[in-house]
Amino acid sequence: MTDRDHTSYREEIGAYLLGALTDLERQAFEHHIANCAQCRDEVEQLRPAADALPRSVEQVEPPPSLKTSLMEVVEREAREEAGESAVPARRRTPLRERLRLPSLRPALAVGGLALVLGLAAGFGVAQLGGEDDARTIAATVDEARLPQASGSLQIEGDGENGAILRVNGMAELDETQAYQAWVQRDGTVVPQPTFDVSMDGEGAVAVPDDLSGAEAVLVTREPRGGSRAPSEQPILSVPLES
Amino acid sequence: MASDIRDLADEEVMQLVQSGNPRAFELLYDRHGGAAFSLAYRMVGNRVTAEDVTQEAFLSIWRSRLRYDQARGSVRTWVLGIVHNRAIDALRRSFVHDRRRETMEGVEERHEAPERTEVEAARREEARSIRSALDTLPDEQRRTIELAYFGGFSHSQIAELLEEPIGTVKGRMRLGLDKMRRQLSEGYAAGGFA
Repeated sequence: MTDRDHTSYREEIGAYLLGALTDLERQAFEHHIANCAQCRDEVEQLRPAADALPRSVEQVEPPPSLKTSLMEVVEREAREEAGESAVPARRRTPLRERLRLPSLRPALAVGGLALVLGLAAGFGVAQLGGEDDARTIAATVDEARLPQASGSLQIEGDGENGAILRVNGMAELDETQAYQAWVQRDGTVVPQPTFDVSMDGEGAVAVPDDLSGAEAVLVTREPRGGSRAPSEQPILSVPLES
Repeated sequence: MASDIRDLADEEVMQLVQSGNPRAFELLYDRHGGAAFSLAYRMVGNRVTAEDVTQEAFLSIWRSRLRYDQARGSVRTWVLGIVHNRAIDALRRSFVHDRRRETMEGVEERHEAPERTEVEAARREEARSIRSALDTLPDEQRRTIELAYFGGFSHSQIAELLEEPIGTVKGRMRLGLDKMRRQLSEGYAAGGFA
């Protein structure tokens, strides 16, 4: 992360609130305000103005079919969840508890990391950094499908607050697809946000789930909007110490 | 049951949504689906993409419902924030963005929603007040804010579009939001909108 001064971050407060920073700029900005009370205060001071903008638009009636199709999916997923697990929701580990994935294909659910890592020759794991509170772990890449790609995961502390995954040399996907991150733990794979890469193949995504005790962070190509279960074997994985 | 939950405040409805209750989620959509669709439509400029964006956003809300944290803002702000992010994703798929760029000033047929309830009438009044606050900004600040928030352009793209230095663009965003904040505060103080 570039070490920039406070003034240059302060200039970006408006762009941050308006969503006009790139993913990497936004992550750097959020890292800065986590440690800068002055910028944090100004963000909170200006936030009501940015929050008002969506409420300024003229109201347009959505078609009734939108609600119908939305509720079909929601009702089906609610039934599936009610049938599969009686585990009560816990705020600390929400997705893991609520989105356990019984429909996960057996290869991923059972085979776990060994299968993931066995995808192609040429995998290599390296510990890139080992500072006191942050570490960077290199990703292993399926070189058969992504010959130019590389990636790394930056984790602070024990990973309780998630991590940032950065990738390079990835193929730009068409408009129907996006890359999606996953957290692998105990034979299940928990969905994380989707992300795009630039024309240069660079991209980054915040992995918000608690990573303590997780086995790996994975990436697959999915339909835009993301999936609940991976549609393919991972193209990139970051093995974690459990 | 339905008549009971319809009396609940958004935050209470959201607790039911978090427990996996589809009826509560339906109520959430009934309350905020119109505003969500309107925002998406304002940003992407056509109904088909706006429907896709709204559906994606609400499915994301359902699937990540446990992430809602009341301490970080109202349900409505959270919902509209997710819609905004999804619309930016759609805009940055180049074909939509190019089309939007060509028709930045114009919008297709509107199918304006009728005012059916007092809540909707109040929201229209609020929208008018916020637009008035936006209109008090110097043109270059207002246009920069609209290109960023509704157009989904990054600061560097706006700098290129307007042929201005990036620092100038960033400054307009910050100054414009600050002026808007003050206008809105005065509006609230004067009882201009609820």
